Amino acid sequence: MSDSSSRRNFFRGAFQSAARAALRPDPEPEEPPEEVVAPLLSEAEIERYSRQLVLPDWTEEAQIRLRDASVLVVGAGALAAPVALYLAGAGVGRIGLVDDDVVEISNLHRQPLHFTPDLGVPKVESAAAKLRFLNPDVIIEPYQVRLDATNALGLVEGQDLVIDCSDSFETRYAVNRACCDAGVDLIEGGAVGWSGLVMTILPRATACYRCAFPVEPEDAQSCAEAGILGPAAGVLGTLQALEALKLLSSTQPPLLDAFLSVDLVSLEFTHVSVHRRGDCSDCAG
Amino acid sequence: MTWVRTKLALERLAVGETLEVTVPAGEAETNVPRSAREAGHTVTVDGTHIRIVRA
Ligand SMILES: [Zn+2]
Repeated sequence: MSDSSSRRNFFRGAFQSAARAALRPDPEPEEPPEEVVAPLLSEAEIERYSRQLVLPDWTEEAQIRLRDASVLVVGAGALAAPVALYLAGAGVGRIGLVDDDVVEISNLHRQPLHFTPDLGVPKVESAAAKLRFLNPDVIIEPYQVRLDATNALGLVEGQDLVIDCSDSFETRYAVNRACCDAGVDLIEGGAVGWSGLVMTILPRATACYRCAFPVEPEDAQSCAEAGILGPAAGVLGTLQALEALKLLSSTQPPLLDAFLSVDLVSLEFTHVSVHRRGDCSDCAG
Repeated sequence: MTWVRTKLALERLAVGETLEVTVPAGEAETNVPRSAREAGHTVTVDGTHIRIVRA
């Protein structure tokens, strides 16, 4: 332990003096040593996020954009589990969770944020506890309410990104409408049975969820009716997390004006193009 | 960790500026120059002393 930390200090000293030498080709010898460049990420952050920082396009600036970001996750269930875990792990500064349910035993096969001792506990509290263990630097804000058309705008306003991990069309439409009104970027997602979809939306710039699905499909089934395997929801939630990290870091472009349709039997990923509708009740005008 | 620290230090420099790094003997001796070259920088190695001109 002391060996590795003294080695770390050695590296750090070497970098600082090298950086000084590089930035000041003719240093005055009597000048007292000083920090030329203030570290933007702390030593602990550099270690914690080192495997993403080593990605060529994942700069320190990208990591700081993540740290400065505020994200609202709607739902604290199957899609939200990978979304919240990966975002907290990656260092998103502030994560809000909205869900009014308590943990039930039938949730546990697909919601790896909740464990058997959490039965009966509000999902947002159960989730917040795990996320704080995962990354104490992240601020977790639990909201034990059901998002609906009356409170959606208040919840999404001021966020940098909303990730919809809810399980009903009613909630999805309310989230979409609020994000369009507030101008907050949105990542929609859904999984049921052996299929799912992910859609990233930049309101009033790209097609919104209502542009893609103007009315609720008549044959829409819930997970309680159609069933779902844990990893099926996990794939879709993980894809939402991936799109979120691309968007928040500005390192890679997300899929826009389209949704990704995922067939979990054949393992086919299909891009389905969608265009903004001039008569969209949520984003037109 | 040596390459991550080097990469972050390089990001703080302007294109054409030089970073001089002394790495501990061992893995970093090969990893740092290789990663720096893969990232497109110009690298000269003198033992554990590595000079990197930012691309
Ligand atoms: Zn629309």
